[in-house]
Amino acid sequence: MNGEAIIRCEGIAKSYFRDSLEIPVLQGLDLEIPRGGYFALMGPSGSGKTTLLNLIAGIDRPTGGSLEVCGYRLNDLDDDELAGWRAIHVGFIFQNYNLVPVLNAFENVELPLLLQPLSRAQRRARVLEALALVNLEDRMWNFPRQLSGGQEQRVAIARAIVSDPRILVADEPTGALDAKNAEEVMALLERLNQDLGKTILLVTHDPKAAHHARVQIHLEKGVLDRTVEVNR
Amino acid sequence: MELLFLPLLPYLAWLLWTALRHPIPLSYNWRSLWQRKVGTLSTAGAIAVVVAIFVVVLSLAQGISSAFVSSGRADQVVVLRPNARVELNSSLERDRARILKSSPLVAWDSLGPLASAECLTVKLLELADGSGSTNVLFRGLEPAGVRMRSQVRLVEGRWFRPNLPELVLPLKMKDRFRDIALGRTFTFNGLNWTVVGLFDAGSSAFDSEVWTDVETLMHAHRRISYNAMLVRLQAPEKIPVFVKAIEDDKRLKLEGKPEAAYFAQQTEAGKPIQILGQMITVILTVGAIFAAMNTMFAAVASRTPEIGTLRALGFRRVEILASFQWEALMLCALGGVAGAAMALSFNGIRTGTTNFETFSDVGFAFTVTPALMLEGFGFSLLMGVLGGFPPAWRASRIPVTDAMKGG
Repeated sequence: MNGEAIIRCEGIAKSYFRDSLEIPVLQGLDLEIPRGGYFALMGPSGSGKTTLLNLIAGIDRPTGGSLEVCGYRLNDLDDDELAGWRAIHVGFIFQNYNLVPVLNAFENVELPLLLQPLSRAQRRARVLEALALVNLEDRMWNFPRQLSGGQEQRVAIARAIVSDPRILVADEPTGALDAKNAEEVMALLERLNQDLGKTILLVTHDPKAAHHARVQIHLEKGVLDRTVEVNR
Repeated sequence: MELLFLPLLPYLAWLLWTALRHPIPLSYNWRSLWQRKVGTLSTAGAIAVVVAIFVVVLSLAQGISSAFVSSGRADQVVVLRPNARVELNSSLERDRARILKSSPLVAWDSLGPLASAECLTVKLLELADGSGSTNVLFRGLEPAGVRMRSQVRLVEGRWFRPNLPELVLPLKMKDRFRDIALGRTFTFNGLNWTVVGLFDAGSSAFDSEVWTDVETLMHAHRRISYNAMLVRLQAPEKIPVFVKAIEDDKRLKLEGKPEAAYFAQQTEAGKPIQILGQMITVILTVGAIFAAMNTMFAAVASRTPEIGTLRALGFRRVEILASFQWEALMLCALGGVAGAAMALSFNGIRTGTTNFETFSDVGFAFTVTPALMLEGFGFSLLMGVLGGFPPAWRASRIPVTDAMKGG
């Protein structure tokens, strides 16, 4: 890998327990992702790609190994510290957008900023900037039900970047979109990576979406199967 | 009520702090409630009913209390036989009444000493709604007795005359008892008693009494002694001196009670209703708390992915807890406001109960005060805290990954 690693996984393991039965999902996985990288996690269902994404994003905890992201060893952070860490370092993009239906686009994008010591005016400026970046300033007072799927995902992207995190994690971001909107969203992510230097980690089944990444990581039964550099 | 809030104060203070410092915007909760209109309104309705009952029960007690408290003056003393709790159980011989009237501490007006020897009895009167009869207190007074009750005002007819079987009734009895009107005749103890006047006693306990001349009433009942005497002193400060004087005087051996305290003691008449009302309220409250809890659990279940999203964005467990607790408080506050408003519609409605001190009817009006409405509103918030905490706690404890998958 070239460049300084922003994500460093060493022997990462994750198991779930159903009653007394242990179900291993990730088994001693080593991975380094450089700052500004654009990686796609691929693999069949149950291969552990979403689990790995959740661990790196700090919404789940490994059962073994060491995980360092943005200079923090996530294993050492307690629940509240992890929440605070996520608020600063990670932006989330979900398959089903996960916008709060009772908040309009502006308020949805503003949510992560409520956790930061910013004035109302500062928050407003940041929200407008983020919405402008996804080209949705004119829809900022619309509620999610008044937006198309593509627009909802763009609002979600604006929400993910509004607090200027270093890492964006996207779980099947085009899974609920038609081809045209999917292409627009992927182009937007690429722009965030290239122009703003965001490190992007993408989970996808879609080869077209994965093709936008610079590196594809294939997982198989909880272990790293192969890494493929994408030639464009 | 205050005692119930006391242990919750640190929690409420913390909630306020979270709302000010780490705001998941309250508009999020308000709109979420509005989005589930049917559930929200039905739960708020149930809470409103409980709050209304709570306030109405308190307003009953308040009404009884107001009736008795407004009956007593600070400068008057009720003189009774020792250990007699009420005038009906007391007796006062004529010679003792004469000695009392001659006390230099007694106030005078232009017509004589302000002291009234009085005789009391109870009679059955038919209720207006046809549900039967109830005991009513008949009070025989001397002319000074009328002058000493400044809250009593003649509104129709004239006052009774000495030595004649004439009655003056409270105007407010018209709603509660049958055929209360000027000129109506009652027959008892061998005499025909004519209603010659109607008075208004300003919602005091006298609005539940029938007044007549003391001598005529005693003659009709073949009594030789009065029940009690009401005495006005020259100043309220003279009360302890007067009370001690009549206790120490071997000719009298009587007990004096400040009139205000005497009537305050009778507010006990409202206790049975109050206790019954409180029992009903407790049962309904438990139901309302579960209704609020159920609504909020449903809200948590249907918004689990939202909770996951908020947690992923960096909101901590405590902020989720506070957010859902605020939502429960809003829901219950909505019910609280509606309930207090519902209770207000009872304000002024007159009813009656039995005063178990005198076994006679005491009429009073539901008295819904701003303080009671505020207490009802506070009660709804208490339901919000108790009913909202378990769902809010549940919402805050769902693991992020589980929440994002919908729980």
